[in-house]
Amino acid sequence: MRVGRYELKLEPRPSPGPVYAVLAAVMAIVLALALSSVLFLPADTDLFSAYRAVFSYAFFNPRGIVATVQRSIYLLLCTYAFLVPLRAGLWNIGLPGQVFGGALAAFAIPFLAPALPPWLAIVLMVAAAAVAGGGVGAFAGYLRARLQVNEILVTMMLNSILFWLVAYMIKEGGLFMGETAEGEGFSLAASLQAPMLLGVPFTALLALAAAVVLDLLFAKSALGYRIRAFGENPAAARYGGILPVRISVLVFFLGGAFAGLAAYHNFAAIPGVYKIPGNYGFYGDLAFYGIISALIARGSALGAVPIAILFAGLSLGARFAQGMLGLPFGVDYALLGLLMMTFVGSHILYQFRIVRRRIPVEDAAAPAKLPEG
Amino acid sequence: MWDLLARSLEASTIFLFAALGELVDQRSGVLNVGLEGLMLFGGTAAFITAQTTGSYPLGFLAGLAVGGLLGLAHAFFSITMRGDQVVSGMGIWILSFGLTTYIGSAYTGPLGLERIQPIFGLSPFVLVSFVLVAATWFVLFRTSVGLAIRSAGENPAAAEASGIPVTTVRYLCVIFGGVMAGLAGATYSLSYNPVWTYNFLMGWGFISLALVFFSMWNPWILLAGATMFGIMWQLSLSPELVLPGVLSRYVWRMVPFAVTIPILVVISTSWFRTRWGLAKPEALGRPYVKG
Amino acid sequence: MHGAEPLLAARRITKRFPGVLALDHVDLEVGSGEIHAVLGQNGAGKTTLMNILFGLVAPDAGALYLRGRHVSFGSPHDALVQGIGMVHQTRRLVSAHTVMENIVLGHPRARGVLNLRRARREVEALCTRYGITVDLRARVWQLSEGERQWVEIVKALYRGVAILILDEPTSALTPPEVESLLAGLRAIVADQGVTVLLVTHKLPIVMAVSNRVTVLRSGRVVARLRTADTTQETVVKHMVGREVMFRTAESAGRLGSPVLEIDDVSAYNDKGLLALWGVSLSLREGEIVGVAGVTGNGQEELAQVLAGLRPAASGTVRFEGRDVTHRSPLERWQMGIGYVPAERTEVASIGAFSLVENTTLNYHFDRAFIRSGLLDEAGLGRLTERILSSYSVKAPNAHVPAQHLSGGNLQKLILGRVLSRRPRLLIAHLPTQGLDVEAAAFVRATLLEARANGAAVLLISEDLDEILALSDRVAPIYEGRFGGILPRAEADPETVGAMMAGLHTNAGAG
Repeated sequence: MRVGRYELKLEPRPSPGPVYAVLAAVMAIVLALALSSVLFLPADTDLFSAYRAVFSYAFFNPRGIVATVQRSIYLLLCTYAFLVPLRAGLWNIGLPGQVFGGALAAFAIPFLAPALPPWLAIVLMVAAAAVAGGGVGAFAGYLRARLQVNEILVTMMLNSILFWLVAYMIKEGGLFMGETAEGEGFSLAASLQAPMLLGVPFTALLALAAAVVLDLLFAKSALGYRIRAFGENPAAARYGGILPVRISVLVFFLGGAFAGLAAYHNFAAIPGVYKIPGNYGFYGDLAFYGIISALIARGSALGAVPIAILFAGLSLGARFAQGMLGLPFGVDYALLGLLMMTFVGSHILYQFRIVRRRIPVEDAAAPAKLPEG
Repeated sequence: MWDLLARSLEASTIFLFAALGELVDQRSGVLNVGLEGLMLFGGTAAFITAQTTGSYPLGFLAGLAVGGLLGLAHAFFSITMRGDQVVSGMGIWILSFGLTTYIGSAYTGPLGLERIQPIFGLSPFVLVSFVLVAATWFVLFRTSVGLAIRSAGENPAAAEASGIPVTTVRYLCVIFGGVMAGLAGATYSLSYNPVWTYNFLMGWGFISLALVFFSMWNPWILLAGATMFGIMWQLSLSPELVLPGVLSRYVWRMVPFAVTIPILVVISTSWFRTRWGLAKPEALGRPYVKG
Repeated sequence: MHGAEPLLAARRITKRFPGVLALDHVDLEVGSGEIHAVLGQNGAGKTTLMNILFGLVAPDAGALYLRGRHVSFGSPHDALVQGIGMVHQTRRLVSAHTVMENIVLGHPRARGVLNLRRARREVEALCTRYGITVDLRARVWQLSEGERQWVEIVKALYRGVAILILDEPTSALTPPEVESLLAGLRAIVADQGVTVLLVTHKLPIVMAVSNRVTVLRSGRVVARLRTADTTQETVVKHMVGREVMFRTAESAGRLGSPVLEIDDVSAYNDKGLLALWGVSLSLREGEIVGVAGVTGNGQEELAQVLAGLRPAASGTVRFEGRDVTHRSPLERWQMGIGYVPAERTEVASIGAFSLVENTTLNYHFDRAFIRSGLLDEAGLGRLTERILSSYSVKAPNAHVPAQHLSGGNLQKLILGRVLSRRPRLLIAHLPTQGLDVEAAAFVRATLLEARANGAAVLLISEDLDEILALSDRVAPIYEGRFGGILPRAEADPETVGAMMAGLHTNAGAG
């Protein structure tokens, strides 16, 4: 585009620094929040009160804070589930399927072995959730690496399959059906409920420790290097002796395992739940917040912590405000969509910059003397 | 039985519309994995418009327009900005999934208009879809426009050097893909199952995407694949018609998705690829940089 | 040019790329019906100038005149409409399409429903006139490189271009193919009155066909000469700016034990076709064997099989006596096989990674640089610094992304990285392709040094001069087979050139 004697052009930013990453992340979130004011238009109250309702419930109301913490852990684990394969350049949108798989496996332990000592049962439940989630993930990872089967399609198909599998297990006489037969899974015995540390489930510790370990893994370790190299340039990674199948299966297993842990946390560790609820599908949808927080955090697990907490609070607060302000259903879903949109927008600004260049004026210098043949 | 077949064919039509648009899209070299999102948004817009105005034509128009606009957004991001096409596609899907849930929730429930009348017992869209398959095949493989589209998807540098405006061609194809996805969504929400619920598609868009890979980018194979899936989908919804009392209905619901995975695996094997040749557009998913 | 108005003129064309002044006030005049050569070394700006004439690149300053009228091209389409066609150095053909589809692509008369039958008759007539034999129904990927080039030329002629730009048309051709190309060009110019702009860095070709020469050096025109009035030596002086001579390296003389033994190895290419047909070769320590051939004759498959990146369909590969046919790339790196692939940016390096991280690509498995699972960053940093200084890689520091390096510097980094592992076997595929003269000379010297240090080197190149300058033995390759394995003394350019074209084959393996 020409403006006067200058030319405006969009050029790829040579190597965007960390400042830009943070800036782009903050911009995406702020913009999404600003855009979501449109969502509050149907409310009977002014915008300011609407935002206040969202934030005060999520971060200042005693009940709200507890719920925010619980949900943050869930979203954070889902974030890792997407983030680990992303570092290898692979898209794990199978979070719901892996969550469902993890949930079924966790509840299979008390179902199959009700007589186990509680501590062992809890350990086995955590392990089973991680292994099952990981297994669902690794299946897609293996197909991707061995046969170049599109991982987005496979994980999406698995989401639907496991969604119906859960319905089969907990509804209409399924094996895991609860006593009330209202389309819910059975409840955990009190002795099998996850132990609490300072009022939050022990899974919180797991989630925070994983953030540190993951960032260290990617920044410092040989394995992390291999994953990143594979993500940046699979051909170069292969040339350098990195085994594509191993990396692909590994990252999908790890990712799926985190989703499995998220399922354990959400269904077996949150006070007042302790079962696979009838609206388990909603938690599958909620897992997609993990995709956005990993994308906005640009693959940094620690960076994703504040983002996941914010999203947890926002999605809860929005649900709360929706009831209070008489808004249509799905404010939390709308926010998810807006965040994705502003992320894609900020992604552009992150990778490009606007360059202003003076259009050179043709100089009238005589051409140099040259030998003539 | 005839009823089941007619319903199956109408279901196939929806797969076919979406996949046909995506096929043209991919033939020009652009991948849009957000197909499900385009269909959701198109279907919701069509539903709301038709219910508010009481007019089917306006409803379809809204569906096509919204699909086309989202296609334009994808084209801008992936062609002009040379962004990652998967990021953009996934973005469009999640955006549509989130926003339609909110926008549509006030309209949850049946459409409340008189149903679109079948012709000879078949949905009129079935006929439209046959015509579109034939037309798409003809344009792609028998005209200069089709040659330009296929070249843009195979080797954009060669196309540009031959005087083909690659960017324009790709833009038009991606917008066409969006319009077709909007049509698919509108056919679902206005004719096939005119009841709005949140996330009403539940994977139709992703199956359509898989169908494009399965078709090896050939409209006729796509027609066969879509018909097969239409029948399978309809059977999974009402298995009691064929096999009463066998297995839970929830297990049947898994079938179309469970069948898709082995199909994807088979067409990805080197045995299959060397046998059928690589029909995949060479430049699929890669942004084109001039020069 | 005195008196007569030039057909095409470029005046004071300037083009700047980030960090480089590619063209600096370049003037070019092309007369009607001549073969005009634009000569210069790699990086002289020839291709940029041609891309400007063809509308692919917009100049920062300067103007184009066609038959005296000012023209400006926003895209190749504009240039084609004005009768300017271009055959690029890298083929601009859709390989999945048939030859006919490629020829009519973008043709102004092929609008709407395609009538390929009528077009085919016209193209066939054109081909017959110049003795071109290409199967118009074949798919482009099935053709040889020489045939593809003809397809592009026919395509331009079928469009009725008045000016045909050929960018390095001989770079991928065997010597006999070059001969027939030049004969064809003369016929076309004589018969159709087409003007040809021939861009090349190969002097003999210029001397053989051109009427006039414009010599470019570092983005400037340094000479305009009439071919008939000048000598090869004069042109070289203009092109290089000083005397540069190729020095044939003395062989080390003392050959050690066999390092690599390839026995009857076959391999498939990505399309599932057999690309390597039972080749055998042995390589001793302190020896360079040059595999000479035009790209696409199985060299890539050979290199990949040796590096473990492609399975061998049959046969065995032995390294220092051990069978490594089924060993992974990782195991081969650890054993001491080093590979420098042809694709510098696509395979051999990761653009977004820093130079240290790129060094790590060959060290992430090395126990000397791993402490309890963590990479020894300080050690890798020092190693990278050492590579940068001993291979004179020009880079601000070891932490800039590799994509900021020029091709030559990147190649020196890659070569340095691979050689720092002290491999017993080095496979170097097109190691100097696209490099400027200095960098290419450095790379060649490095290969000789590796040989002197006792490594066995398999040099795979298209550049016959390079092969003859460096190799102790020469193995010309054609369609996946060695035409023979010649000691350097028997490998004269004519014999090797003929073998590269598959003209005669000696039985025997080394």
